Amino acid sequence: MAKHHVTTTINGESVEFLCDTRQTLLDVLRDELELTGSKEGCASGDCGACSVLVDGRLVCSCLVLGVEAEGKSIETIEGMAKGDKLHPLQQKFLEHAALQCGICTPGFLVAAKALLDSNPNPTETEVRYWLAGNLCRCTGYDKIIRAVLDAAAEMRGETHG
Amino acid sequence: MAEALRKDFKIIGTRPVRPDGIPKVTGTAKFGADFSLPGTLFGKILRSPHAHARIRKIDTSKAAALPGVKAVITGADFPEQKNEFIGPERTAVNFWYMTRNIMAREKALYEGHAVAAVAASSPEIAEKAARLIEIDYEVLPHVIDVDAAMAPDAPLLFEDMTTRGVEPAPTRPTNVSKRLEFKLGDVEKGFADADIVLEKTYKTEAVHQGYIETHACLARYDADGQGELWSSSQGHFVVRNLTAKLLGMRLNDLKVNPAEIGGGFGGKTVVYLEPVAMLLSKKAGHPVRLAMTRAEVFKASGPTSGASITLKIGIKKDGTIIAGDAALRYQAGAVPGSPVMNGCLCIFACYAIPNQRAIGYDVVSNRPKVAAYRAPGSGIAAFAVESTLDILAKQIGMDPIELRLKNATRIGAPMLGGGKMSHEGFVQTLQAIRNHPAYSAPLGPNQGRGVASGYWFNGGGESGASVYVNADGTVVVSTGSPDIGGSRASMAMMAAETLGIPYDQVRAGVSDTTTVAYTHLTAGSRVTFATGLAVVGATNKVIEDLRARAAKIWGVDIEAVDWVDGCAKPSSSNVGKFEALTLKQLAAQASATGGPIGAAHAVNAAKQAPGFSTQLCDIEVDPETGRATVLRFVVAQDAGRAIHRSYVEGQMQGGAVQGIGWALNEEYIYDEKGRLANAGFLDYRMPVASDLPMIETVVVEVPNNDHPFGVKGVGEVNIVPTMAAVANAITAATGKRMSALPMSPPRLLEALGRPGKEV
Amino acid sequence: MYEFAYHRPASLAEAKTKHGGDDDRRYLAGGMTLLPTLKHRLARPTDLVDLARIGELAGISVAGNTVSIGAMTKHAAVAASAEVAKAIPALAHLASLIGDRQVRNRGTIGGSVANNDPAADYPAALLGLGATVHTDKRSIAADDFFQGMFATALEPGELITKISFPVPQKAAYQKFPNPASRYAMVGVFVAVTGGGPRVAVTGAGANGVFRVTAMEEALKGGWSADRLKGIAVPADGLNSDIHASAEYRAHLIGVMARRAVAAAG
Repeated sequence: MAKHHVTTTINGESVEFLCDTRQTLLDVLRDELELTGSKEGCASGDCGACSVLVDGRLVCSCLVLGVEAEGKSIETIEGMAKGDKLHPLQQKFLEHAALQCGICTPGFLVAAKALLDSNPNPTETEVRYWLAGNLCRCTGYDKIIRAVLDAAAEMRGETHG
Repeated sequence: MAEALRKDFKIIGTRPVRPDGIPKVTGTAKFGADFSLPGTLFGKILRSPHAHARIRKIDTSKAAALPGVKAVITGADFPEQKNEFIGPERTAVNFWYMTRNIMAREKALYEGHAVAAVAASSPEIAEKAARLIEIDYEVLPHVIDVDAAMAPDAPLLFEDMTTRGVEPAPTRPTNVSKRLEFKLGDVEKGFADADIVLEKTYKTEAVHQGYIETHACLARYDADGQGELWSSSQGHFVVRNLTAKLLGMRLNDLKVNPAEIGGGFGGKTVVYLEPVAMLLSKKAGHPVRLAMTRAEVFKASGPTSGASITLKIGIKKDGTIIAGDAALRYQAGAVPGSPVMNGCLCIFACYAIPNQRAIGYDVVSNRPKVAAYRAPGSGIAAFAVESTLDILAKQIGMDPIELRLKNATRIGAPMLGGGKMSHEGFVQTLQAIRNHPAYSAPLGPNQGRGVASGYWFNGGGESGASVYVNADGTVVVSTGSPDIGGSRASMAMMAAETLGIPYDQVRAGVSDTTTVAYTHLTAGSRVTFATGLAVVGATNKVIEDLRARAAKIWGVDIEAVDWVDGCAKPSSSNVGKFEALTLKQLAAQASATGGPIGAAHAVNAAKQAPGFSTQLCDIEVDPETGRATVLRFVVAQDAGRAIHRSYVEGQMQGGAVQGIGWALNEEYIYDEKGRLANAGFLDYRMPVASDLPMIETVVVEVPNNDHPFGVKGVGEVNIVPTMAAVANAITAATGKRMSALPMSPPRLLEALGRPGKEV
Repeated sequence: MYEFAYHRPASLAEAKTKHGGDDDRRYLAGGMTLLPTLKHRLARPTDLVDLARIGELAGISVAGNTVSIGAMTKHAAVAASAEVAKAIPALAHLASLIGDRQVRNRGTIGGSVANNDPAADYPAALLGLGATVHTDKRSIAADDFFQGMFATALEPGELITKISFPVPQKAAYQKFPNPASRYAMVGVFVAVTGGGPRVAVTGAGANGVFRVTAMEEALKGGWSADRLKGIAVPADGLNSDIHASAEYRAHLIGVMARRAVAAAG
């Protein structure tokens, strides 16, 4: 079957790719565009490791078809830092040791960014429920939650010791 | 070593950013599935749909004929192995079984058992080809439960298997692969002397480690017989050794590159895909990528044992535990090798009980072969013993921590399996919980508090490291230990502390199997201890070399040069008036003083210290639904000395949360045909962020005098007490005792006397 | 996945043409069920007709006593809608409990209703509120729409365009989520509408969402959780699976119904 030609924007750059209808957006990112920062943990939308933003909305890229990306704006973990300047969430994840193995980290960072984009001052409970679609098996979530809350505080301009 | 008692560290105990941090927060870190080579083929494994079936015939001709298919293999393509158990009893391996687990031969022994594999030019063709392989199965009766598998009329997985460890050797075939017995004192007399004797049976279900990265590798076999692997594992040297043995290769013909590993918890200490991918590559003449789906991970990698334990404890009214007797029956999965010996040796290890016995049974059934899971075998045993102690404490009206303190093991206490307890630390974890504000905080209605403790051996063993000083005075540390939870940071910290230089002057990495000495698994809580010793050893060699070079520059004996705070200094004013030489200065002169500066060191580390943890759980049980919600959780654990405090806390928090999942919801559920009914995250119930509170930690530090910084392993013991702590909290909240895991809402409601019929 | 062709119509009319009432062609809404189904090779459509770019299918409006929600409206949009929160707060609450954030950002009300998963949340709201399902052909009362597990009154090719909900006097939804999937193990939607009290149950029925008339009758005598005490829903006809038995679900229906009545105030 003929491949589809898709024109999209990824991390601010215009990108064109060819894909089979059966390829998910995650397959396209990883296998066609070599953006392997988005991870496949389940391929069924249950673990959140493949989280990306499509037109600013947090979704699992394993449950989006590549052809659906036509005309959309996609943000992945690879676009989160600006040059060598980390996003405050990335910085706080490092400072708080909010990652151990790191496989879930890109998904958590993208999901947390979507949260702070829409709610700059979340409570601990709001952070926990927002991130409930992302599985982490190493950290018990404690340091992830703290890192997100601390990043939010910093982005609001509240200084912490 | 007196250094262990030092407290004036500059770097040890701080929380620097890890060297692999940036790649992991920016998405550039390469995990097992992130590698590819030009011309890479896609592998696919065909798996048994039956729990137990004889394989009469495999016809691969249609698959092989499909355009785009480059190789098809079955079990017959692997060399035969000798049926013998080799290595120490506790970790013995048998390659006859291992090769059959990697690919079935005479029989498929569980649903998901690999029976054939293909490599093709696209994933779609590989999948299609796998479906074209025709297998003639004779479906056999199956057995799933451990107690059922031990019954005399149970379906047999191996018609000629008899029980090892029984004298005289039995002739009747059985699913009981091994029987173990450990004794101390006189158990019968102990029970006779007891005021209260309590006997109870506990059951646990198989659970999965639940690492988020599925197994994945890339293999390339070259025409000259040399192979190269990129693989995510807990030990690329072990991957190399096992793969080479299973394929009949020499060790130096196989190079394994460590990928970043997306979680293991014991589950990535063995091989599943690597020998298959390598054999496919050999046949196809191209590199082959192979990855498991999540369903394959659940069905065909190694969960931990489900188990059944009968435990009898005798106690005096004053709280003295006088006798303990346990029978532990652990699922091994389809081939022998459960962690039941660990269970036997750990079950009473927290307590100085004069009369003890533990009998273990290693039992095969039609489930995937178990793999290690965080202190393998110990948590199951602790669920039994710590639940029973909770009951007994109430019966004699004693505070549960007081009871544990009264019987706590101390240095010199004899232990099951021989030897004596050689380290402190347990009492301190008990005191830490008793002194924690949580222990006396008020509780509301339907809420309860439970405590429990746990023991884990912690491992030592073989590790290699090298340390090199660059011309600009920076330092590179390489080890053979895959880094799962931040160990590169702790290696760099130990090297920096030893050298007396800032942390950011040292970079630590993980090297492949050709560039550093053999290094055993990242498992058994051994890396910071054993690989840390290798790093410190190599660093000390470098310091020795630096002192020699300073001596040469100054024209004095090496004994006249001390290494202090990152500088060579005259050991006394008698040596002469020399300005201290910094590492940077010495590095700059390396060419003139003997060439590059660097050293390698390898160890077989003994004298690891065991791990102890005591935990507190506050829980609320909804009396109408049976749902238990963890309100507060405190983990106290003896870390010896925390190198990187955040990563020590992280281990404690992560282990406890895995234990909470195990306690409340996680389980392997089989249907009547022996097929796994919940092989995905939609149905296998791991905790998410909204299920949990913050996990409070108390890092107890009783230094291990046999490590230069006092390190004890911290990776595993944190899961051991958790299931019992949760169970004890549920009893406190409801008055009902749960003796089977998981304590899911329907089961809990049924225990509360409401309609919650077990499913 | 098996091979399939993909179409992206810009209008309802074009979507209808692309589908053509062919059983082997499927509409793609949020894909939260369809894509996993395709991945597991449990369905083999020849064509997918993507509804995402059809503007007329999305959006929320409140007119008089009716809340209308376009079929392609995402769960997250319903959960976040100030209009829905004002008119039928229980509906916004229900939407906020579906799956996780990633699911709520993709899943649509029309997809959920058309799929009629026995553990989905929306069917309880439709039945509990006496909503109307509007399709490209007709309007169907919720009482007539749901016809058993994964079965609805939709004919081949018939497309849901919007759902309209009457604004109730009071309503609430209480759910006992599956600890893994967050689907409803049991979810109970209660409401007082023009037609009196309604009690709808999802997650439990072997034939999908259903009403509990005994509870509705009891509530006619007064809106109080106490009036539901002693009303047992028989386990016969309820779902038994790896997560819970029919008996447990029967018990939960009583608990969740009482809590919902109390929550509705």
